[in-house]
Amino acid sequence: MRKGRSYWSQEDRERHQRRSHYYEGPHTSHSSSGGRTREEVVTPPLPEHAAAGSPMAMSVDFKTYVDQACRAAEEFVNIYYETMDKRRRALTRLYLDKATLIWNGNVVSGLDALNNFFDTLPSSEFQVNMLDCQPVHEQATQSQTTVLVVTSGTVKFDGNKQHYFNQNFLLTAQSTPNNTVWKIASDCFRFQDWSSS
Amino acid sequence: MSLPSGHTMGHTDQVAQRRARCSDIYQRRLSSRSEKVNPGMHSSSHQQQDGEAAMHGAHVDSSVRYTPYAISPYNRKGSFRKQDQTHVNMEREQKPPERRMEGNMPDGTLGSWFKITVPFGIKYNEKWLLNLIRNECSVPFIPVEFHYENMHASFFVENASIAYALKNVSGKIWDEDNEKISIFVSPAGIPHFVQKELKSEKVEQIKLAMKQQCDVSQEALDIQRLPFYPDMMTRNTKMASNPGKCMAASLHVHEENIPTVMSAEGMDKWKGIEPGEKGADRSPVCTTFSDNSSNINSILELFPKLLSLDGQQSPRPTLCGTEAHKMLPTCKGSFFGSEMLKNLVLQFLQQYYLIYDSGDRQGLLSAYHDEACFSLSIPFNPEDSAPSSLCKYFKDSRNIKNLKDPYLKGELLKHTKRDIVDSLSALPKTQHDLSSFLVDMWCQTEWMLCFSVNGVFKEVEGQSQGSVLAFTRTFITTPGSSSSLCIVNDKLFVRDTSHQGTQSALFTLVPTAFSSVPAFSQEQQKMLPS
Repeated sequence: MRKGRSYWSQEDRERHQRRSHYYEGPHTSHSSSGGRTREEVVTPPLPEHAAAGSPMAMSVDFKTYVDQACRAAEEFVNIYYETMDKRRRALTRLYLDKATLIWNGNVVSGLDALNNFFDTLPSSEFQVNMLDCQPVHEQATQSQTTVLVVTSGTVKFDGNKQHYFNQNFLLTAQSTPNNTVWKIASDCFRFQDWSSS
Repeated sequence: MSLPSGHTMGHTDQVAQRRARCSDIYQRRLSSRSEKVNPGMHSSSHQQQDGEAAMHGAHVDSSVRYTPYAISPYNRKGSFRKQDQTHVNMEREQKPPERRMEGNMPDGTLGSWFKITVPFGIKYNEKWLLNLIRNECSVPFIPVEFHYENMHASFFVENASIAYALKNVSGKIWDEDNEKISIFVSPAGIPHFVQKELKSEKVEQIKLAMKQQCDVSQEALDIQRLPFYPDMMTRNTKMASNPGKCMAASLHVHEENIPTVMSAEGMDKWKGIEPGEKGADRSPVCTTFSDNSSNINSILELFPKLLSLDGQQSPRPTLCGTEAHKMLPTCKGSFFGSEMLKNLVLQFLQQYYLIYDSGDRQGLLSAYHDEACFSLSIPFNPEDSAPSSLCKYFKDSRNIKNLKDPYLKGELLKHTKRDIVDSLSALPKTQHDLSSFLVDMWCQTEWMLCFSVNGVFKEVEGQSQGSVLAFTRTFITTPGSSSSLCIVNDKLFVRDTSHQGTQSALFTLVPTAFSSVPAFSQEQQKMLPS
């Protein structure tokens, strides 16, 4: 039996309302309710898709990929940790259905398991001190635009001591003519001092 | 102490075997802990449930689980040192046994369970405390699974009216220092011991079914009796039983189902993996966390009054119980998708670091894709005074959180193998400790293998010669020629270890990816900054 079914359907409804919105840029995201709740990571459309359908493939240079990756990463990190800390229930929306998380060596795969996992995790306070990103080479992704995002900082889970952490994400782009929505395909989280636990 | 009625002590042979195996695991696990702990109070419920002296061998667990200082009979007051507090908090980060049970079976006939907690009850001897409570309590009660958790004492009772009566005892009993003793009451999922006992038949059926799938899963069901590290048994049990050598634990592999988007044919690219090895048919037993919420919710509805703690309203319970019950999952060691991939990755790392540490990093050119990317970061922590050992990495450090200059953002991301290797060659000379490596293989598709390595290395020349630094390095690789890996993305994060106290742990006692002898000799290790 799935717990909390009624919660999800209500939130799903709200999400449907927001779907019609698109974002102009990383700093101007609004939800339909007028607040600044951001539940998806959205950036402007990707250049190659803007030229989709053109018989001449538009060549996108490396710098563009890098810029795009940085935008996605910055927007993503802001939303992700805020959601993790303040609206934990909405966190799995940032993940693909088949996404995996490896959390201090524990494997959690698929949205159901992720929902369970984040539900059982104590409440958190994250402080991100370092963020870096790289565009992932298309040879590894078969042209599915992907960004490697790496973060580091400290986290305090309720009832536990503070830890330093490192986290890695692979974000994949789902492109529309109007925007790009980024979702987590894989996630790897480690306490830096896990060995003393 | 009485046991709930109906408790059976059958199948002792099986139990003894399980205990022997568990004891082995514990030895290994303990030898991997860097901190010494003193034998603490044993959970008496375990003593009584089995009546087997052999249990105590396996129950060095309680010394690790509970506080590290020796507990004498009640009324030991003292200032708990902050260090101990930290350790205690760490130990809390395990799931309580009752939440580990898969196949939680809500069943109206089981009654409602409540957890009774005496804050700071660790000071009190169990018998003394229970007698004291009994004398004051208006109804007789049977405490189930009495145990100490952090600094509190807890047990369960199976009856709402008993729980209510116990709650009324709060504040009406005093210890010998004339301090009031409080009692908190909260609804609880069915205590694990009771689950197991009452549903032993059902559990047997489940065990039989799972035996066909995975031996490890069966171990997992058995071992859930133990108070912590229940996830431990998801590891491969075919470990060399060599308690002293924690490295043996490093060879385990998580034979769990890892999600891939590749077809069986696609796996061939990773050279020879058998479809069976993927573990696609094995159900992961312990990767998800069991769900008690259905029980808890119905109980909460019936007895809202019992939620109040000492007259105050408790925080609104979440679906999984109150926040106080949430534990962090146990931290585990390396994760590889399979034995074959593990070998592939370890071989790659051995070769890579052999060259990396050799003094000439140009040899790494063949490891990288023509258009690979590399960047490096060091932690940005405003409170830290600049750590001298990291300063050589500072100028290459890319942290886009703080870096707004678009030119630098581009410059600090190295592109093409030539630029990357030149950049690596300019970094300080190093000696990596392969025995410290912890690897997470966290994304795997037909075309890509993505893994992160955590470990330590030493600087071998220059002003900070001998200083130990820790690193996390993420590699994204594609299948290369002749069963090698080709790096397309490389991200290095370097930090110092001095303020985290992880050095000794990392060098000697952590289950790691490599079984080889540490790169540093005994003499060298003694010279390391402590």
